[in-house]
Amino acid sequence: MTHKTWMAVSLLVIVSLILAACQPQTIEKPVVQTVVVTAPPQVKTETKEVVVTATPKPADKVKVLRLNAGEGDIPTIDPALAVDVASVQIIDETTVGFVRQNETTGNIEKAMATSWNISPDGLVYTFHLRTDVPWVKYDAKTKQVVKIKDGDGKDRTVTAKDFEYGILRTLDKKTASEYAYVLTDVISNAAQFNSGEITDTAKVGVKAIDDATLRITFNEPVAYNLNIAGLWVAHAQPSWLIEEKKDRWTETGNQQSYGPFTLKEWIHDSSLTLVKNPFWPADIPNIPQSKIDEVTFAMLAATPAFSEFEAGNLDVAGIPLSDVDRVKADPKLSKQVENVPTMGTEFYTFNVKKAPLDDVRVRRALSYAIDRKSVIDNIVKGQGEPARWFCRPGVAACPTPDKYPNLGIKYDPAKAKSELDAYLKEKNLTADKLDLTLTYNTTEGNKKIAEAIVAMWKEVLGLNAKMTNMEWKTYLAQWTSDPNMQIMRGTWVQDYQDANNFDKVFSTGGAYADITRWSDPKYDEMCAKAAKEQDPARRIELYSQADQYLVVDQAVIAPLYWYSGLVIYQPYVKHTQSITGYDWFEKWDLAN
Amino acid sequence: MAITHRARSGDAVGGSKHQRESLWTDAWRRLVRNRAAVIGMSIIVILVLTAILAPQIAPQGFADQAREDHDKVPEWATQLFPTMAGYARISDKYLLGADYAGRDLFSRMVYGTRISLAVAFVGPLISLLIGVTYGSISGFLGGQVDELMMRFVDVMYAFPGLLLIILLMFFFRSTFSNAEPGTLGYALNAMDARFGGMLFIFIGIGFTAWDGMARLTRAQVLSVREKEFIEAARTVGASDVRIMFRHILPNIVGPLVVTETLSIPGYISTEAFLSFIGLGVNPPTPSWGSMISDGAQALRSYPNQAIFPALALAITMFAFNFLGDGLRDAFDPRLRGTQ
Repeated sequence: MTHKTWMAVSLLVIVSLILAACQPQTIEKPVVQTVVVTAPPQVKTETKEVVVTATPKPADKVKVLRLNAGEGDIPTIDPALAVDVASVQIIDETTVGFVRQNETTGNIEKAMATSWNISPDGLVYTFHLRTDVPWVKYDAKTKQVVKIKDGDGKDRTVTAKDFEYGILRTLDKKTASEYAYVLTDVISNAAQFNSGEITDTAKVGVKAIDDATLRITFNEPVAYNLNIAGLWVAHAQPSWLIEEKKDRWTETGNQQSYGPFTLKEWIHDSSLTLVKNPFWPADIPNIPQSKIDEVTFAMLAATPAFSEFEAGNLDVAGIPLSDVDRVKADPKLSKQVENVPTMGTEFYTFNVKKAPLDDVRVRRALSYAIDRKSVIDNIVKGQGEPARWFCRPGVAACPTPDKYPNLGIKYDPAKAKSELDAYLKEKNLTADKLDLTLTYNTTEGNKKIAEAIVAMWKEVLGLNAKMTNMEWKTYLAQWTSDPNMQIMRGTWVQDYQDANNFDKVFSTGGAYADITRWSDPKYDEMCAKAAKEQDPARRIELYSQADQYLVVDQAVIAPLYWYSGLVIYQPYVKHTQSITGYDWFEKWDLAN
Repeated sequence: MAITHRARSGDAVGGSKHQRESLWTDAWRRLVRNRAAVIGMSIIVILVLTAILAPQIAPQGFADQAREDHDKVPEWATQLFPTMAGYARISDKYLLGADYAGRDLFSRMVYGTRISLAVAFVGPLISLLIGVTYGSISGFLGGQVDELMMRFVDVMYAFPGLLLIILLMFFFRSTFSNAEPGTLGYALNAMDARFGGMLFIFIGIGFTAWDGMARLTRAQVLSVREKEFIEAARTVGASDVRIMFRHILPNIVGPLVVTETLSIPGYISTEAFLSFIGLGVNPPTPSWGSMISDGAQALRSYPNQAIFPALALAITMFAFNFLGDGLRDAFDPRLRGTQ
C-alpha cells in the first residue's frame, strides 16, 4: 500500500473505534432498573454483585434475606435426586410434603395433608390433601410470580396425582435416585419397583384415589412411616414440566413449584435466589406466608462469607474457625452469636474393600487414635461434642452418654497401637509403609480437622497418611464411584427424629452402603429388630447394640463429633432456632 | 605511570595475565561494587544456609502439632498488631506465633525456605537445560529446521503460562494419585510424595518456562554464529559440537544467566501461587504460599500468620531481583569502562 492509502486505512480504523466507544449506553438502562428493584445483575459475577440488592431500597421496601449456602454449587434442587442438606433446604422451601418437621422441636406437623387415616393394622395411610395450592413459577419478564395454567387455561393446583408421580419418579430405576432407599425400605413393593423386578406401577403401594386423596401402603406398622412420607423424596413433582424440559426442569426460568418460595434465579457456582410465593395459602398454621420477599444464597467459603457479614452484606454467617476467638472477645459481635445444636454427626468412614482398611484392626486403630476432645477444643473451637457412636443423642431411641457411659469408642492410644501392631506383625509390615489417603470435601474446617487427625495418626501410630480434597458436588459423585478412595470424611444430618434414620444409613442398601462398600446381614438384622420394637427403653438398648457393633466391633466408621455450631446473625434478623439442620425462612423476619 | 602498568595485583609488567582477565572476574568486580546486588547476594546466601541448616535453626519440626497452643502469639506481636490484644493468647515459646494447629510459624518458614530455594534453583536449571539446548540447536542449524522449531516455540509461548501450569498440576495430581502400583504413574507419584509434592511442580515449571530461554538462546546463537572466530575455527577443522561448546556457548552465557536470574522471582511466585491455591506442595510440608493461604483465613484475627510468610516471600524475590539487576549491569559490555 502507498503511504497515503496506509494513512487513510489507519485513520478509518481509529475513527471507527472512537465511534464504537461513543455508542449511547441505551443497553445499560434495563440492567440499572433491575439493580435498583431487586434482582442481581444477570451476569456471572462474584457475590459482591448480589450485595447490590441490599443498598438504598426504593419506597416499597423489598425484604431480602442474604445467606450463604457454603463453598461450591448446590448439587441439585430436584426432589428425586437430592441427597444433601444444601439441596434439600432449597427443595423443602419450594415444595412441601404431606407433613413437615418443625425445625425447633423436630416434631411432625400437618402440611399439605389436612388429615389422614391409618388402617387398624397400621399399614395403610390415606392422606387427604388440600386442593387450593397452585403451581407457580417466577416470570422474569414481568418480575412476578405467576400461576401455572394447564392446556385448558385453568390454574394447575397440586393434586394427589402429582404426589403419586413424584414418589414413583423417585422410585423409578431410570431416575437413579440415590435416596430412593428411604422409600424402598418402607413402602410396599417399592424396592421391587426400584430394582426393576416389577414394572407395573399399579403394584407399588402408592395410589392417588382422586385429586385430593392419596393412599400409601407401608411394609411395617412403625411410627416413622409418617415422617418418611413427608420427606422431600415424596413431594409432588410437576409431571408436565419434567416431561417437557427433562433434566433442565430445575433451571432458572423453567422451575415450577408450590411451596412458600419459588426459584427466582440460579447462577451456578455463584448464587441462588428464592422469591416469595404470594399464592401460598395463608391458613396453614406452621407454614405461614413469608414476610420476607427474597432469600439469596451466596456460595462462599467460610472466611469470605464472614468478611461479607462483618461488612454488612450478609445477614447470617458461620464463623470461620480462626475468627472464633476474636468474635467471642468482641463486645458487639459476641452478642450476636448463637450456639446451634444440630441433630447430626461428623465422622470418617472407611472403604472396607480397599487394603489396608479391609482389616478391622487397622480401622479400629485409626479410630482409637483420634483425640476427639483435642480436635473439638482446639481445632473446631468448641463447636461440637465428642462422638462415641454414630446415632446423635437427642434423637428418639438414640442412646445418650449419661445413660451409656461405656458405650462406643473413646480416645485410647495404647489400644490403637496394639491393634495396629497385631496387624503389622501378621503382615510383616511397618507403619510408615502403609499407604493411606484421607479424602474430604473442600472447606476450611474440613482441612484443619483433617490435618490435625493425620498428625494424630502420625504421632500415635507412626502412619504417613496423605490428604486430598475436592468440591462437594464432585465429592458426592466420586465417593460412590471411585473404588480407590480409602478414608472419607462423612456427615449425616437427620431426615427425621428417629434413630432408624441414623443407623439404617450403614445397612445394606442404605445411604452410605455404596461408600463404605460394607454389607453385613448381622447389622441389618439388628437394625430391623430395633426398628420394629415397640417398647421405647428396649428400643434404645437395641440401637445401642447396633451402634456398638458398627463403631467398635466392625469399626466401619470413626465417629468424630456430634454437631453443635456457632452461627452469627445481624441484630435485625428475627429467626427461629433449628435443631434439625433446616431453617424455615417463612417464619423469619427482617426488622430493618 | 605505575597505575597503568600495574593494572592487576600479582601481574608481571606488560603481563600476559592482563590478557587472561576473563569476563567472569571483570563482571564479578563490577557486581560487588553494586550495593543493591551485594545486599541481594547476602540475603540469598543467608537463605541458602537457612535451607541447608533448617533442622538446626528451626526450634521445632514443621509438622509438630501442639494443638492446645493453637494461634498463640508472642508478646511483641500484640503491640505490632494491637487489634489482637483483646483475645490473643500469649506464649513466648513461638518466635513468630503458632498456627491453627499449634505449629511454630518460624520453624515452618525456615523449612519453607527449602521449597522456595529448591524451585529457585531447579526451575532455572530445567529451563536452561531444555531451553538452551533447544534454542542453540535451532539457531545453529538454521534454515527450515530453525523455522519449524521456532514456530513450535511460538505456539508454546501463546499458552498463558499460569493457566497451563495449573492444568498440568491438576492433571498430575488426579491421574497419578490413582495409578495402579507398578505403572509409571505410580512410580512418579511415589517419588513426588517423597519430595513432599515438589516433583510435579518441577515438571510443571519445566514444561512452561523453557520457551523464553529457547528464543533468547537462538537469538544469541544467531548473532555469534557469523562472527569471524567461528569461521576461523571451522577453517581449522573444528566439528560442529566443538564449535558449539567451546566457542559459541561460552560467549552467550552472560545474557542467559542474567535473564534466568531475573526470572527466578517468577518461579518462586509461581510455586507460592500454586501452593496458595492448593495445587502445590502436599500438606503438612510447608511452603510460604501454603502458609499464606492458611494465614489468609486468619487475616482479620491473627494477621501474623499471613504477614510473616508474605514478608519472607517478598524479601526473597527482592533479593533475586537485585542480584539479577546487578548481574545485568555487570555483564553488559556497553557499560565496560564507564564506571
